[in-house]
Amino acid sequence: MKQKKLTIAGKELSSRFFIGTGRYPNPFVQNEAIKASGAEVLTFAIRRVNLGAPNEDAILQHLEGMSFTYLPNTSGAKTAEEAIRIARLAKASGLSDWIKIEISVDEKTLLPDPIETLKATEVLAKEGFVVLPYTSDDPVLCKRLEEAGAAAVMPGGAPIGTGLGILNPYNLQLITEQANVPIIVDAGLGSAMDVAQAMELGADGVLMNTPVAKAKDPVKMASAMKYAIEAGRLSYEAGRIQKKKYATASSGLTEFVSK
Amino acid sequence: MQEKVLILGGGVIGLATAFELSRRNYDVTVLEKTSCGGQASGAAAGMLAPYSEIGEDPDDFFKLCLDSLRMYKTWQADVKAISKLDFEYTESGSLHAVYHDADVLALETRQSWQSEWGAETELISGERLWDMEPTLSKDIKAAMYYPEESHVFAPDYVKALEAACRRNGVKIHEHLEAVEVVDFKQSITVRAKEGKEFTGERLIVCSGAWSNELEDVFGIRIPVYPIRGQICAYDVPVDQVKHIVYTSQGYLVPKGNGTLVNGASEDIAGFKTDVTDKGIQRLTNWNKQVFPFLADMNPFHTWAGLRPATQDGFPLIGKLEGASQVVFATGHYRNGILLSPITAVAVADLLDEKEAYAPLASCKPERFM
Repeated sequence: MKQKKLTIAGKELSSRFFIGTGRYPNPFVQNEAIKASGAEVLTFAIRRVNLGAPNEDAILQHLEGMSFTYLPNTSGAKTAEEAIRIARLAKASGLSDWIKIEISVDEKTLLPDPIETLKATEVLAKEGFVVLPYTSDDPVLCKRLEEAGAAAVMPGGAPIGTGLGILNPYNLQLITEQANVPIIVDAGLGSAMDVAQAMELGADGVLMNTPVAKAKDPVKMASAMKYAIEAGRLSYEAGRIQKKKYATASSGLTEFVSK
Repeated sequence: MQEKVLILGGGVIGLATAFELSRRNYDVTVLEKTSCGGQASGAAAGMLAPYSEIGEDPDDFFKLCLDSLRMYKTWQADVKAISKLDFEYTESGSLHAVYHDADVLALETRQSWQSEWGAETELISGERLWDMEPTLSKDIKAAMYYPEESHVFAPDYVKALEAACRRNGVKIHEHLEAVEVVDFKQSITVRAKEGKEFTGERLIVCSGAWSNELEDVFGIRIPVYPIRGQICAYDVPVDQVKHIVYTSQGYLVPKGNGTLVNGASEDIAGFKTDVTDKGIQRLTNWNKQVFPFLADMNPFHTWAGLRPATQDGFPLIGKLEGASQVVFATGHYRNGILLSPITAVAVADLLDEKEAYAPLASCKPERFM
């Protein structure tokens, strides 16, 4: 079956699953879950990484010998200025020129600050970063981020780590319909159902961490999410039937009745 | 008649459980393949640091760790009193140090929920930080101070537990090499080398990193994996470092005898317990970013232990549903020293048929499909 691959900033990706490296119970489970996910893009907080020696970092060291596109993130930044500063640190360390902008102010909801996110996107895109901003699921804002030079836009389904799923499917569908860059749903998903829904709404990919890392069996859940992404995408490409109020016989008897 | 309890494994969990059961008048026998405290227990840095270890949310694992920390003062005094041995227990407090302004939001998040659990916390930056810990790197932006966090000298603690057990009449059999559970249904029978058999009415599984070997015996999944933890230690002037210092890359613990313990490099190496250049260099390359004076020093000692990690991060503590005479107490990963009192008391309460300690709901041994 021919399936279109996801391409971001000219890079063709083998998987539509972006996975985070936080919160796994231990390095063994982390590695097995990441392998099971089939993900090629890996995200982690720059502030937690040993930038002087990334290959000796407490988490990244376990991934030696595996090949990934790193998507370092600016989590913890409260302003555009701070996000820009740590993005530059990550690039200078040679880790990656991809950057996930994540700017939050409220320690309870960690919701993204739209104004600061837009500012940081403009600056970093001009500097040649491949910018993937994590943003609220506002269609107008997502369009503005695209215009500001984002290589892909990453609206949240719900606040980070909540597992509440896609709180506003209407908005998400508008976002995917209008976009000229890939839309990656980032944050708030809980289970395979949420993931399939995101993909059926036209998302090009999904970024997850907590629902995999904190599952009772992270390896099995990584695998479940991988299938959900594939199933949702196939369903989206195949085109679903219209919803109707009354039944239509699936055996199609009437056509064959001779009069 | 005293009930006869067999305990598989003489690590810190097995010994602490034996100690608690001996105080409640059970007839306890500990069966150890090698020697007591020879694995993760003796290798541990001895940190009692639930707030530093768990920064994300207050799940049952956090509650276990917190309750155990709060038991420690009395518990360690009891072990000392009965064993007549001393070991270091220092209420040093800890500093969770960060290097970026962006870390402060994460510290505020943990402060916000940890405070609801009664944690004493203080976000420290600027001169006060270096007043508290004078040799700390000037690159550190801020630190969360947890005055309640403490540490014990793990090898001495385990020795004292063993001595306390013996004084209370616990029989400890070491160097058994192979230990096989022959029967756990009708009565408990465990066979060691040369056919030597031990019998009892109860069996407590405290096999740590080796627990997975018992899957076939009990017919359940036991997803416990050994994770090697490599540690090194420096000889520094006593009191030069005052607090446990914790960072995203590892920790440093100042012992009363002037030993500064630096851990840990974790890796996946099966049951190997040797240290590697890579593992130790990871620590020695990084630790000068915490204490610059370490740049001119070499560790005088390096070692490794196997930590029993589990699939979901929670230990296995509880009775088997299908065979309530068998109780699991294993899979404590990096927190066996901290969790030893709460595990011992929770297991003893299960044997006494008391109401189960609530956080055990997340620790059921048969929860894995």
